[in-house]
Amino acid sequence: MAAPPTRPLPVADDLSRPFWEAARQHRLVVQRCQACGYFNHPPRSACDACLSPQLCFEPVSGRGTIYSFTVMHQPAVAGFAEQLPYLNILVELDEQPLLFMVSDLPIGEREKVRIGARVEVCFEEIDATLTLPQFRVV
Amino acid sequence: MGALTDKYCIVGVGETPHMRPSNRTTFSMACEAVKKAMADAGLEPREIDGMTSYQAGDSTSSSHVATALGIRLNYSLDIVGGGSSTEALVAHAIGLLEAGYCKVIVIFRSMNGRSGRRMGGQAPSGPVPPVRAEGDAQFYMHWGWTSPAQWFGMSAMRYLRDTGTTTKAFAEVAVAHRYHASLNPKAIMRTPITIEDHQRSRWVVKPFRLLDCCLETDVAAALIVTSRERAYDLRQPPVFIMGGTARTMAPNSAWNYSRPEIHYVAGNYGRNRLFGMAGISHKDIDLISCYDAFTFTTLIQLEAYGFCGKGEAGEFVKGGRLQIDHELPCNLSGGHLSEGYTHGISMVIENVRQLRHRVDDACPGWAEGKHTYDRAAGCRQVKHARIAACLGWGTETTSSSLILRGISA
Repeated sequence: MAAPPTRPLPVADDLSRPFWEAARQHRLVVQRCQACGYFNHPPRSACDACLSPQLCFEPVSGRGTIYSFTVMHQPAVAGFAEQLPYLNILVELDEQPLLFMVSDLPIGEREKVRIGARVEVCFEEIDATLTLPQFRVV
Repeated sequence: MGALTDKYCIVGVGETPHMRPSNRTTFSMACEAVKKAMADAGLEPREIDGMTSYQAGDSTSSSHVATALGIRLNYSLDIVGGGSSTEALVAHAIGLLEAGYCKVIVIFRSMNGRSGRRMGGQAPSGPVPPVRAEGDAQFYMHWGWTSPAQWFGMSAMRYLRDTGTTTKAFAEVAVAHRYHASLNPKAIMRTPITIEDHQRSRWVVKPFRLLDCCLETDVAAALIVTSRERAYDLRQPPVFIMGGTARTMAPNSAWNYSRPEIHYVAGNYGRNRLFGMAGISHKDIDLISCYDAFTFTTLIQLEAYGFCGKGEAGEFVKGGRLQIDHELPCNLSGGHLSEGYTHGISMVIENVRQLRHRVDDACPGWAEGKHTYDRAAGCRQVKHARIAACLGWGTETTSSSLILRGISA
């Protein structure tokens, strides 16, 4: 039996499964509307821009900039107490304005955080079934 | 002006003490708050026939409370929601009254916000155990990004950068609300603070310091809505509902995905409806309540509802503008930052008391509307309180509001 998780872990669903399967192969994909070309994240059942249901996952560059960030000082979340204070960043991907992904920053990168800093995707393998796309400053 | 402007009134208000912890059930607290609101209005249980509440899976139900108080309901509903629910349920009550579903409606919120379900995510005794991150949360919770301070903090950090505002603007909000709490015997945090105290307080989630964050409290509060005709016969001066908005949404309801930037919040979509329905303009407003889950949520809604321009709130609040006896007194009870946390209903209740000129302060004659206006002696009645705006916040993408007036307006 697997050890109980020490931090919140994502649960894939019908909409998001391709995202997590690609992540396991160290690929970053984002749901894209086949009617209008708009990228949707988190995945939607209809396009945020045109409501088309024709949505497919496509590879993206994995590059972007830090749009905003927070620094958590409160020991509120199990699994993170030893990392305090830790950073969360809101990444705006290069593919589209305001196409956001949330990440933390690896320990050692945290001094480099600033709005506008360039980042690229990296992958943190949790176990055989789960890999988390994460971003680091470039 | 809206067709229903001034047709319905808030006629009764009441609450339990703000406690940490209450050592009571949400049911017991809700019963006390509803009883107090009925007593305030001079209404008997048999005269109440509607009850609604809002909650986050952390409270009791209308039907349970009504039964215990001897109220037979023609209408009951308990909705899921936190901030912005009060103003929305007032709008909902107006619809029910207008359509004839019931005649007198109680709205309550009861929560053990400190000793039970804590909105900040922690369990009563410490960090929340690992949870399954489902839905949109599967894309952020695993990074430990799990609480409103972190979510709204992301918008706040970008706001500071986009507008050149500094956290001293946050401090102005904290200082004003705390000053009001110092005049409120019910408030938990009553020691006045300075801008420097704010700037020296510890980080909770940067860009928010301790004094940017609301309290967590155990409390129940209730208010009663009925028709103007019924209100005239009751114990208190009626407070008329001029207009409002009910859970106005931004185009994309997901947290932190507002457009054209993440700090363009839902109030921007509600402002013209609010003032249009009330048939007044900003200069007619004598006082406001503005949801202060964090100092930033107050600040950003001043812009969203048009009290100042985009990016101008920092300049607008300088020099104590939000304090009593200044231009736009805000959160006269001390708000969620300093009185206690009720998911918004306590701010509407305070405005009702202000508009009656019967704020429950240190003045011996407050219950008869006799105030000294001597702040050093503990009076917190706004001198010419005629019209109040209540600006509720759910998230960046959800907001509700009300404009109320007293009989002198």
